[in-house]
Amino acid sequence: MANTIIGSSIIIDGEISGDEDLVIQGTVKGRISLKESLYVESSGIVEADIDTQNVEIAGRVTGNIVASDKVELKADCRVIGDIKSPRILIADGAAFKGNVDMDIKD
Amino acid sequence: MSVNLKMFLKKTIIGPSILINGRLSGEEDLTVRGRVEGEVALSRRLIVDKTGIVKANVSVKHAIISGVVVGNITATDCVELTPGGRMVGDIAAPRVIIVEGASFRGRVHMGDAQTLREARERLGTKPAATSQTSASARFSSSSSLSPISRPPSVPRLILRSTPIPLTQKPIPRPLNTMANVPPSPPSPPEDIPPTDALPMDDDDEFSGDKPLPPEPPAFMEANQKKVVLKKKK
Amino acid sequence: MLQNEPINIIRKGITIRGSLSGGGDLVVEGQVEGLVDLKNHLTIETTGKVQADIRAEQLTINGEASGNIDASSRVAINASALVSGDIRAPRIVIENGAIFNGSIEMDVKLPDDI
Repeated sequence: MANTIIGSSIIIDGEISGDEDLVIQGTVKGRISLKESLYVESSGIVEADIDTQNVEIAGRVTGNIVASDKVELKADCRVIGDIKSPRILIADGAAFKGNVDMDIKD
Repeated sequence: MSVNLKMFLKKTIIGPSILINGRLSGEEDLTVRGRVEGEVALSRRLIVDKTGIVKANVSVKHAIISGVVVGNITATDCVELTPGGRMVGDIAAPRVIIVEGASFRGRVHMGDAQTLREARERLGTKPAATSQTSASARFSSSSSLSPISRPPSVPRLILRSTPIPLTQKPIPRPLNTMANVPPSPPSPPEDIPPTDALPMDDDDEFSGDKPLPPEPPAFMEANQKKVVLKKKK
Repeated sequence: MLQNEPINIIRKGITIRGSLSGGGDLVVEGQVEGLVDLKNHLTIETTGKVQADIRAEQLTINGEASGNIDASSRVAINASALVSGDIRAPRIVIENGAIFNGSIEMDVKLPDDI
């Protein structure tokens, strides 16, 4: 269960880092680096480069995403940016523009 | 769905391992258990839990500090330091509560006493025996009201009519403090916002609005050298 | 219990200008202007008004105080108090309802990495 919740009225302009799950219902601009999972909920707006283990996006994200484990784009999300992750899931109804790099080693 | 439930709670929590560096603003309660640096602007409450560290200038309605704050706080309602709460910085707020066990270094600006009392009168609030904070503060201070026990041979008070030098130097600080302390941002608002302008959705009851104590008559002033201290048996 | 303790009292209606010093406890119900230097406990009652730099072991304020305060143990600014000045003491308590303008200096232990 996530310890950290950025509520829907909250706007953060800057950097967020940490070792725990993060739920974003509000707006974050800048940079996010986590060792755990990031959840961008349907009301969430992220304009930031993201570096984390897992990402689940139901809201809007503009920025490049690097995830060491998995990126999941849920229905009705809107993502603009490049994604680099060994596992990428894109649901029916998700909107995505950008490059996908699943980091396949030769 | 749990997502919707969270939305209704309207509460933001910064977990213990999280560091936010930048500007944070919003219209909901914010609980900090991790670390926030930069600037915080909230229209509701900031709660700094025991593990929380806020190194920022803060403007908020109500701040409750059980952790650490370094920076200035401007609050439209109240700043509370609970036991264990530590703060270095200046506070501008119509109500400031510091309880036993809290520590603080900085300036406090509550504003003009008359304006404050009138504002509290308007709200029609009474000294809050209901407020837990005030009750605990009262409890802790009541112990200090009992006289220090001492043997009857303790030297009596000496009264002199002219100033004498103290054995130690007088406190080397200006009498009128707010006018003389070095400026540091933010400059406290001269007009403390009407405290009833905001929705009273939390523990907003004011307290302590007792009428001004009556002025003691000044007729004794001419005879001040003859004043004898009474001894209560 | 209070009755049996000898306490110095400056009654309501009395004004003292000058310097007050001594080793006993003092209760101020009247007015004091100048300088107060006590070894023990100073109590300013709701009717009391002290315009003075104050040095004491312990200070309890229910009335008015303006001036700088230096206490070796504790300062309690209670709900009915109106205080302005700079305060230095190891323990300072401000109750809900008190009005205070000035600075406070306590020892604040901050984390190392701040």
